Amino acid sequence: MTRIMEARAMHKSYGQVKVLEDVSFDLEEGEAHVVIGPNGAGKTTLFRCLSGETRINSGTIMLNGQDVTGLAGWQRVQRGIGRSFQVARIFQDMSAFENLIVAIETRERNEKGIWASFGHIAPRRAVMDEAERLVHELGLEGTLDDPAGTLSHGDKKRLELAMSLALRPKVLMLDEPTAGMSPSDRSEAVRLISDVRARYGLTLLLTEHDMEVVFGLATRLTVLHHGAIIASGEPHKVRADARVREVYLGQH
Amino acid sequence: MIDYRVRFRTNLVIAACGLAAFAVVPFVANSGLLFLAGLVAINIVFGLSWNFLFSGVGLLSFGHAMFFAGGAYGMALITRHVPEMPFLLALVLGAACGGLIALVFGVVALRRASGVYFAVLTLAFSELIHILITKTTFLGRNDGLTGIPRPVIELGFGTLNLTSATAYYYFIIIAMTLVAVMMWCFQNAPAGRLLQAIRQDQMRTAFLGTPIQGWQLTAFVISGTVAAFCGAVMVPFTQIASPEIAYWTVSTQPILFTLLGGAGHFWGPAVGAILFGAIDYGTRTMHGLSEITVGVLLLAVVLIIPGGLLGLLKRRRAAASKSTRAETAGERTSETEAGK
Repeated sequence: MTRIMEARAMHKSYGQVKVLEDVSFDLEEGEAHVVIGPNGAGKTTLFRCLSGETRINSGTIMLNGQDVTGLAGWQRVQRGIGRSFQVARIFQDMSAFENLIVAIETRERNEKGIWASFGHIAPRRAVMDEAERLVHELGLEGTLDDPAGTLSHGDKKRLELAMSLALRPKVLMLDEPTAGMSPSDRSEAVRLISDVRARYGLTLLLTEHDMEVVFGLATRLTVLHHGAIIASGEPHKVRADARVREVYLGQH
Repeated sequence: MIDYRVRFRTNLVIAACGLAAFAVVPFVANSGLLFLAGLVAINIVFGLSWNFLFSGVGLLSFGHAMFFAGGAYGMALITRHVPEMPFLLALVLGAACGGLIALVFGVVALRRASGVYFAVLTLAFSELIHILITKTTFLGRNDGLTGIPRPVIELGFGTLNLTSATAYYYFIIIAMTLVAVMMWCFQNAPAGRLLQAIRQDQMRTAFLGTPIQGWQLTAFVISGTVAAFCGAVMVPFTQIASPEIAYWTVSTQPILFTLLGGAGHFWGPAVGAILFGAIDYGTRTMHGLSEITVGVLLLAVVLIIPGGLLGLLKRRRAAASKSTRAETAGERTSETEAGK
């Protein structure tokens, strides 16, 4: 296995508050790595630092052997990251279909250069076809023409996932992909994510709260507590770890 | 699904109808009205350039006068000092003046500010340019640059004489139509869709792998260039570049056009500009009445129909199609009931 992402000695603080302290984190190619931890443990901050939404105060982040510590989020996306947000971010006033077209055209722009962006007043046939394929894959058929802002919570999340997939990322980062979902939607989402992972051969990085989701998806589990990693490894081993039981799992 | 071809054709027809309506003016109106119509045509594209920024990428500019004046003064200077330069090249250079101002200002302001802060910066910078113009002898101080001639264009196979107001008027409306159609095409190209995405959610667009600031700057420069082109085209028509066109009231005009006509529609500023021109003409004999009318109308539009006139039209149409759909559905149910 090759290491696709490698973070060493990350420190991150917001003002006086230290959120991450000396965190080192690895992501192996092909794994589904889930980060868990109690509220306020620093999961979302870790996620933000790795995706490039915010810069770390010290430490290094490598992606595919390249140092990306100083790169902004959009530059990391161009190097093979795709991410979702805890509250799905989509283009509210556009139709769901146009959301996908924007994502596909963005990938094409990054692949083929900026001149792909001008000179035609309708999306190219190939772009439309690809958008339609994604629509079918993710089951968004019924909502194509509605303004994306009017979609249901679950459909928004699916649309956002489809947009991330349109970028053809190597690493897909999902921040609490099942937050706010009903239990039945949740198992549906787990099935969809593992489907997508298998089909696209993706490396996954997730933060999650729900234990069912965690053990349904994870091939590796990392537990964060007070901004430090207290355990990392195969799910069943981490589950048996005494400290983890004490700070986290024991509460359930 | 959106039918892009139909949408393109519809908008092309709208542009052609607008051009035809303006083309009739010289046959039915006196020279005063002709002059006003020419200015309205320029204002339409000036308004479109502002709304391109506001509704197109989500940047609020309170200083569009600086681009307009930049184009106008650029054109006036070239015509006076380099009279042998071809007219069309001079227009392009005039437009480039506005683009350059937008580039310099945008590089500084977009890095530092966003939202209201950005808007206030545009206002401040625009005022600075106004003051610079009134204090610079080279730019004619408070008198402006006067006596700008209208051109005679060499076409190779003949000459196009635009020295009469009517001939130049036709040049204006054709040039403005072309620019408007080009802007429509740009906004519906992938690049325009991307700018729209940036307006709706910057963070999402960034995490699709797009440098936000670079695209905002591009949009800013395009908007400034188009606004400057409007200024450059106006100068030979009015034959003067005066400091008033750099004043902040000129910056408010495209905002008024857009709010009156409707920001959510591409042609909103055009409707607003025409309405604004009509009010100006209707109240020309009573000094101050024009401002009062515009003020009251603006208040009414903002309070009663926030989407502007075209927004109202759109809603009416949506409601009408909904009620017809409900009616046909009603008929169908009554038919089935009758069938039972």
